[in-house]
Amino acid sequence: MLGSVFSKALRDQRRALIGWSTGVALLVLLMAALWPSVRDMPDLSEFIAGYPEPMRELFRMEDFATGTGFLNAELFSSILPILFIVFAIGRGARAVAGEEESGTLDALLVTRVTTTRLVMEHAAALAVTLTALGGVLFVAVLGGSAAFGMGVSPADLAGATVATVLLGIEFGWLALAVGAATGHRAAAIGAASAAAFGAYLLYAAGQLVDAVGTWQAWSPFHQALADGPLGAGLRPEYLLMPLAAAVALAAAAAVFDRRDIAGP
Amino acid sequence: METAIRTRRLTKRYRTRPALQDLDLEVPRNVVFGYLGPNGAGKTTTIRLLAGLLRPSAGSAEILGRDTVRRREEAQRHIGYLPGDFAVYRDLTGEQYLRFIGNLRGGVDRSFVDHLAKRLDLDRSVRVGGLSHGNRQKLGIIQAFMHRPDVLILDEPTAGLDPLIQREFLGLVREARDEGRTVFLSSHILDEVEAVADMVAILRHGRLVVVESVENLKARAVRRIDLVFEGPPPVAALRAVPAVREARSTGHTAHLVVEGSMAGLLAVAAPHGVEHVVTHEPNLEEIFVRYYTTGKV
Repeated sequence: MLGSVFSKALRDQRRALIGWSTGVALLVLLMAALWPSVRDMPDLSEFIAGYPEPMRELFRMEDFATGTGFLNAELFSSILPILFIVFAIGRGARAVAGEEESGTLDALLVTRVTTTRLVMEHAAALAVTLTALGGVLFVAVLGGSAAFGMGVSPADLAGATVATVLLGIEFGWLALAVGAATGHRAAAIGAASAAAFGAYLLYAAGQLVDAVGTWQAWSPFHQALADGPLGAGLRPEYLLMPLAAAVALAAAAAVFDRRDIAGP
Repeated sequence: METAIRTRRLTKRYRTRPALQDLDLEVPRNVVFGYLGPNGAGKTTTIRLLAGLLRPSAGSAEILGRDTVRRREEAQRHIGYLPGDFAVYRDLTGEQYLRFIGNLRGGVDRSFVDHLAKRLDLDRSVRVGGLSHGNRQKLGIIQAFMHRPDVLILDEPTAGLDPLIQREFLGLVREARDEGRTVFLSSHILDEVEAVADMVAILRHGRLVVVESVENLKARAVRRIDLVFEGPPPVAALRAVPAVREARSTGHTAHLVVEGSMAGLLAVAAPHGVEHVVTHEPNLEEIFVRYYTTGKV
């Protein structure tokens, strides 16, 4: 596991991955276990109608009556993106900026590893880790759906999982990029979190205010969550997420290659 | 290519503060080059520039003819680098760390790593987080030496090493030179460098003060020495010795400042019954202030 920066990065993430996987799986199973009692509420539609319209629109509560709609509202368009993004930003910020701040980057760079390769290998490792977390999500939802009769199809679920993973990759890579460009973990976490928050605001505003509508397409949350993500299929818009982050990575690699490495 | 390290008007400014100013340095191959200066003189800045971790504000640096900016990867391939304040992943064992860095470098001979670890008496099975500062430093030395680089660039390599291990380390440095490698090492302690270096450069406030062979520097080095006599010290006679720059006495002790060889002084002092000799480590700052800044180079 110590043959390359990539494999060491995977090794370094294994503990965090196990912890987060457990958390995600438990959350999914808890939500799935709630489903039968929600479905069997005699006055569900009245209950939903009691919510203010903006909330119903934002979380698409009208679809609550189906297992897919319930999971979209309760997991895939709310807590799951946040979990994936928080995990990704934390790992992404740690990758280069964390090493630089702890002083271990020095010896690492005076090898055959170039600054650009370092960024790319960390980006690849982060993508693999998030995909693994996505795999856990997929299995947990599939199991929960089967156990509690939610009727989520594997194809729908695969599309939604891809959307969630790519959303995480986008902001994780952004944090990695800012960390590589600046060498500061706090800057990486701050900038990527601010970007995620801004993207969410844009998405939410687009759901609620018609005038924002055309701008909404720029938000990664819209790219990931529009019409689903459960049931939306594999939308071509999903590709925008890793593409945007790849542009950020390329720009950061160029800066990283030309800047001073901070001493320990 | 006979020059191992060459810098031309190498300058580094942090914002506006100059850390290194117009450094012209030429280190031939196959020597041990001591890079001396008080803390904050610009030694680490020079070393990080040579390692390709900093970009010059002006001027250039080359390792074996390869520019550290334009041909950074090539230049880095030829060096073994020990950072000052060497930091390691705390969750790895020494063995895992060396294997990791070795994999990234390629071409590391495992038996040579074993040899180095044995020489420096390092237990590689312990997690780095549990190692003392000195043992971490050993790990840093091994990773710098293990791929037998042409040029070794070592920032305060003996920091934290106990005297026995220091001696072993100096042995490794001499062997590296005898095998045709070049060793560039920084220190703020003159004696340490004297013991192993062929040439010495002295840096002060970001400027190169002098490059000398160690022999010349020794001849010029200023030492403080206290001679404790059986009776009152013969201050006038001591002052008359050419090497003695200053002499004063308190009780039975003569406090002297001596430049260069002690031989003449000892010959004069011995007949007066010397009970005790205390030498103080030559203070670099003193060397600069007293001699070099007055233009006596």
